[in-house]
Amino acid sequence: MTPPTAASPASVSRPPLIPPSQHRWAEVIHRLEAGGSMLPDTPENLMQIIGIYKAYAVPMDFYWRDLLYIAERVFLAPIRPFKYFLPQEYLDRPNAYAGDQADLRIWRGEAGAHPELLAFIDKGETTRMPKLLHHLWHDRINMEFAEACMQAMLWHQGMGGRFNDFLDSETYRANADRAIRAFFRRNPLMLGLYRLFPDMFLEQVKQLSYYANLGLFWEVMAPVFFEMSDLYDEGKLTTVPAAMDFLVNGIFAVAGRPIYHEVVIDGECFEIIPRSEGFTWLYEAALPYVEAVFYRTSPFRGTKSYNAQAGQVPEDQADFHYGILYADLFPVGSAGIPPTLLMQDMLHFLPPYLQELYRQHKRGEEDQLIQLGVTFQRSMYNVTSAVIQALRAALLYPLDDTDPEHLQANRRFFEAQMDRFLRPEARLGAIQTQEYR
Amino acid sequence: MATILETARSAGGFSTLLTAVEVAGLTAALEGPGPFTVFAPVDAAFEALPPGTVATLVSNPPQLARILKYHVLAGAHRRSALVDQPEWESLEGAPVPIRRAEPFEVKNATVLSADLVCDNGIVHVIDRVILPG
Repeated sequence: MTPPTAASPASVSRPPLIPPSQHRWAEVIHRLEAGGSMLPDTPENLMQIIGIYKAYAVPMDFYWRDLLYIAERVFLAPIRPFKYFLPQEYLDRPNAYAGDQADLRIWRGEAGAHPELLAFIDKGETTRMPKLLHHLWHDRINMEFAEACMQAMLWHQGMGGRFNDFLDSETYRANADRAIRAFFRRNPLMLGLYRLFPDMFLEQVKQLSYYANLGLFWEVMAPVFFEMSDLYDEGKLTTVPAAMDFLVNGIFAVAGRPIYHEVVIDGECFEIIPRSEGFTWLYEAALPYVEAVFYRTSPFRGTKSYNAQAGQVPEDQADFHYGILYADLFPVGSAGIPPTLLMQDMLHFLPPYLQELYRQHKRGEEDQLIQLGVTFQRSMYNVTSAVIQALRAALLYPLDDTDPEHLQANRRFFEAQMDRFLRPEARLGAIQTQEYR
Repeated sequence: MATILETARSAGGFSTLLTAVEVAGLTAALEGPGPFTVFAPVDAAFEALPPGTVATLVSNPPQLARILKYHVLAGAHRRSALVDQPEWESLEGAPVPIRRAEPFEVKNATVLSADLVCDNGIVHVIDRVILPG
């Protein structure tokens, strides 16, 4: 893919065809209408988001490989202490969007696991030692974060697309049944349990289908972020809107990627969700992911009561607002809402210019995790902007449309999106200034 | 009279659509008795999509078929009938909204030429690829 070059068509000045928005976030809405991002276009914002995309992409390169490994190979293994120990086959597994053999080459780098990831797996923060010791010492990639994202998608469900409906279909049940029987054909105890509690096993397979879903989703995002980082280093990505447009183009380019779930048992491939179902990256993975993870997720255990009388969490799951777009970064490292484990993972792969930036502000190295968390929040507002712009482009009208009715339709869409940031927890206001760190 | 696909072939300007229909394995269905209502995007509509979009779909026929089916309704519906109902269920399953009667707009596409009557249905030529959602 090439970096977007054309200036936004709306940047050509002309008298407005529709009156200004009266929304509380009118300034942001007008910026979106001019082809911009929710994140203001400043050199520092660009540096922050690109740097954190790079730091995010390295652990993500582990997450997607391990998610697929668990979905395809570990499957229903009743005892699975080594599910986070990626076999060489999955470290070498070519990313479909990087390397010479790519379906569509997004990143110009190699298709195997990223060199910085391999170096970290080898030594961690400590030193070279057996994998098991790294694991027990927790000196490793925090796969628990990836699993938390997967669980958010599983738990919220019903966020558009047909994936979830299919999990309740007879076809899915039959496909899962075949795979379960094959997996336990030499384990009469588990087969007996399956006969007694079939739905419990089916529910586990559904969760594994979400492992596959998220793995296939992130397989795309890692090379997208690596490429953006390389383009920035080469001086070819120079503004926040250009970074957003790169994401928009990426979303379209891979929108039709199949989302499926295949399990390999004794060398035989079982299609639990066949590619022929027509599930796509955009509808069945990306949009549900953004909704479940960026917006909703769920409070960290112990921070909120789910007791209905306590009224601490919304009655309607659609109103959950514990994602990164609403997160209070201060409680990082404690039982707070922000993605603490991810922040720890990203800390290992910060580019030097971000390390330098954090040293210059607040408490320097002592609160790097909070500072990078805020950077991550900024970067995810930019990704969310890309999703909003992609949806507008797919379902509504070009920004330079001259029909006032079309522009009003775009306006209604942008305002509806911004309504989600009216609640006090939203950090949209905070990221408008550089002082928020 | 000709079928929907023959009409598109002889009209010209639909080469991407016709290739896509073939790759998606929908040729036989669209050559069948139908009747269907097809919203046919012109070549320029596909060219307007960001780079890689069509290539990814073409290499994944079931996913391509899903997008194409969103452009097809069961039954032969002329413009006069379509504008009487706010939305119509596509063969993909998701509804296709009729947003405006004048100019005639289907979802976010404008109809460039309506009511091309064929043996097995009706074609409305549109200026944009429409997507479910």
